[in-house]
Amino acid sequence: MLQDFLQAYVNKYGFSGYTELRAQQNRNRGVMMLNGSLTANTSGTSRGLSARVVKGGAYGFASGTGYGEDLDAIARVVRTASSNADFLDSRVRRGKPDFPANAPFSRKDGLEHDIPVEQGYLLGLVDELDSYIAERFPRLLSRRVFARVLDMEKLLYTSDGVVSHSYVPRANVYVFMTTQDKDGQPVELYKVMGGYGNFLARFPNAEELFGKLEKQYEQLSLKADGVYAKPGIQTVILDSDLAGILAHEAVGHTVEADFVETGSVGGPMFGKQVASEKVSLVDLAHDAFGSLAPVPVFVDDEGTLAQDQMLIENGILTGYMHNKESALKYGHTPNGNARAYDFSDEPLIRMRNTCILPGKDKLEEMIASVEDGYYFTDMNNGQADSTGEFMFGVPMGFEIKNGKLGRAVKDTTVSGVAFEVLKTADMVSDTVTWTNSGMCGKKQIIPVGMGGPAIKVQINVGGRA
Amino acid sequence: MKQAFDVKDKALLEAAETILAEIKAVGADEGETWVSRSALTELYYELGKVSMVRTVFSDRVSLKLLKDKRKGSTTLNSFDPQDIRLAVQEAWQAAQSAAPDEAEGIAEPLGNFSFSAGEEKPDLDAMYGQLDQLLKDVKTDFPKISFDSIGIEHQFGEKLYANTNGVRLSDRRGVYQLSNMFMAKDEDKTSSFNYFGTVYENPSDRVCDEKRVRRLLDETERQIVTEQFAGSFEGDIVITPGCLENMIAYVADTYLEDGALISGTSTWKDKIGEQVASPLINFELAAEHPDLPGTSQLSGDGYVAENMPLIERGVLRNFILSRYGAAKTGLARSKNSGGSYVLGSGETPLEDVIAGVERGILMGRFSGGSPSPAGDLSGVAKNSFLIENGKITKPLSEVMISGNLADMLRDTVAVSQERENSGYWLLPWIRVKGVTISGK
Repeated sequence: MLQDFLQAYVNKYGFSGYTELRAQQNRNRGVMMLNGSLTANTSGTSRGLSARVVKGGAYGFASGTGYGEDLDAIARVVRTASSNADFLDSRVRRGKPDFPANAPFSRKDGLEHDIPVEQGYLLGLVDELDSYIAERFPRLLSRRVFARVLDMEKLLYTSDGVVSHSYVPRANVYVFMTTQDKDGQPVELYKVMGGYGNFLARFPNAEELFGKLEKQYEQLSLKADGVYAKPGIQTVILDSDLAGILAHEAVGHTVEADFVETGSVGGPMFGKQVASEKVSLVDLAHDAFGSLAPVPVFVDDEGTLAQDQMLIENGILTGYMHNKESALKYGHTPNGNARAYDFSDEPLIRMRNTCILPGKDKLEEMIASVEDGYYFTDMNNGQADSTGEFMFGVPMGFEIKNGKLGRAVKDTTVSGVAFEVLKTADMVSDTVTWTNSGMCGKKQIIPVGMGGPAIKVQINVGGRA
Repeated sequence: MKQAFDVKDKALLEAAETILAEIKAVGADEGETWVSRSALTELYYELGKVSMVRTVFSDRVSLKLLKDKRKGSTTLNSFDPQDIRLAVQEAWQAAQSAAPDEAEGIAEPLGNFSFSAGEEKPDLDAMYGQLDQLLKDVKTDFPKISFDSIGIEHQFGEKLYANTNGVRLSDRRGVYQLSNMFMAKDEDKTSSFNYFGTVYENPSDRVCDEKRVRRLLDETERQIVTEQFAGSFEGDIVITPGCLENMIAYVADTYLEDGALISGTSTWKDKIGEQVASPLINFELAAEHPDLPGTSQLSGDGYVAENMPLIERGVLRNFILSRYGAAKTGLARSKNSGGSYVLGSGETPLEDVIAGVERGILMGRFSGGSPSPAGDLSGVAKNSFLIENGKITKPLSEVMISGNLADMLRDTVAVSQERENSGYWLLPWIRVKGVTISGK
């Protein structure tokens, strides 16, 4: 747990002008076995301090690694940030007033989850999973098991009088299996498990995961005998994991206010129909349908109390994600989307838990409604564009013929223009699932939650002719 | 510049010696550490203005120890002896629970050296002037371009590698780097985003003087209004240098590097000395190059890196294997396990590379899913133009390509004489035949 040396600094020196002062510690662990060999066995801590000062609309930021009881070291970081703001202010002379002050508050969130896990525990779990795979599926060409822990702890003081101490743990296990198809070509399928929480609580034993390994191998075998998808626009049911990345990549990035300001397609579409009326989309702050969201944010790194941000309501684009500056410019309320990854990073406008809200359809009925199309079940990387055009990789899926699932499909990619694809959504399932395993990249990386139900859309598939 | 081993910042040497002493004290057989101290100064533009000056002071340590070939490693960002002691104990405990791996080890002594390049202190006034000039030039010459962000940063750092075999290597380097993301817009219409990155030594350089920068800004302005086509066809793609860097990184990861070779999934694993690409392909991993200030002379596992050919006239010459990867696979350790991509220029003028395309596309950026272990890939051909009868005819959107990386290298039918240089890579345009190109 981070000790609070900032309070003593604030008591002694106070703040001069708008300032955010943040101490942060990211702790990570990683264990990887590749074909039974331990290729990674590492742990680490990134701990430090940063200050951001705003003068006349010019930002000065500084950070250093020496966070401790030496208040002069804290003062040096603040002075450097202030001097940086002075330099820029002297050049740009923007003359902007400070942001409206937040009402002071103090809160602690998630600190009870700071429960240490031994490296040996990760090693044991990974070894058990690897041994199980080796014994059960000896014909695999390759296997890789990777356990990862990332715990982020932040202590924030702002010149408004906001004090926030938060702890967000994340624990994941990734399993990669590779086999060969009939031509001897390698075919891979990976699955990721886990999400928010302490590693011990998420993975109390290896046995609970064996069933998932069996299912993964079964799917990989189907994929090895699979076919390439047909290229072009197809009727596709995107299972819930893919709907999550669709919400994130296809829509989320285009309605981040900084991207809107530059010229993203989200700008001119505000208040307009951008999706079928069956589609509503929200960026949740910390609670999701009565449970904790995968990446709960209670206070953002500018000291704004986090609230849910509606983005699309019944097909109408109704909101953007903001930091304090962009919210002021657009006349909107900031809802806590300014987030930084490491102590040395400044807050950027980021998503938290972006989710398409559930509909009323059943997945089985959705599959039965497709005469000729695809059911895509897994996703890997994705990317968005200013035009709303997006893509994401699809490592697993099935053909649908006459309402029934057919052959498995080999790796493919889907793409489309977000608002056009979402207008074709004519069925939305009633069940939401979440993923919390990847990182969103935008100058900095940051953990995000992505959620959604299964949706049926018309989308471009990168298959082979 | 290469010279006899000499670390300027003695705090690094002190921290490294403390770490190695602690590693021996806990009872480890072998150990290694990287210790670094750096200062980054960044000038950042976003939301239509120069918005921030940022300074990051950073101390970093990574260490690895081995006991009976059992490995433990950890990272921290403190040189404090007490923190170091705790970190070594953490790695020691991790090693206790680890399975032994005979391939584990540390670098053997091959001579101790230091390298240095660039300026230690940032010239913030020059950085501001460079950014200001870039914005003015773009406003005048490319008025439809809108920058989402521009970062100009100076990074100075000294890093030291030390291990219990007596290996000592260090690097002291200051470089400037420019990164950005931009698009073109005209009223409510917007192009796809684009970007360029540059590593350089002189912040007084005028960014818009570079041909590569002007080409990218010009092409992006011509992408505001795009067309789509229906159906799919097999055609040629001309890959621009920036996009080629992305593709080559996929090739390295899929066929040449540790992961693919240790797991056995690389379909090139037995192909050293064999033809894997068109004879037009000459691909080198550079550790030192007069035009590339972004190169690094030290490998991550404690060796001095050298320039290394990977593919010569289409024949596979080397893999990109670390010490561990080599021991694990029984293959030779590579002279360079990272480095900058350099592809030899070809004999065809760019104009003729394009003129040879009957129907195909010019692809400026690839946005796709990670390739499969076999090298199959598909994705969106971003910032692309249709080529018909040897002429670039119209900007496209919503175009996908799919193919196989190895096939694409084999089916390369032209390499341009012209190359572009980012300061980190040096690459030409290439033309690949027979790629599936699909529209809406």
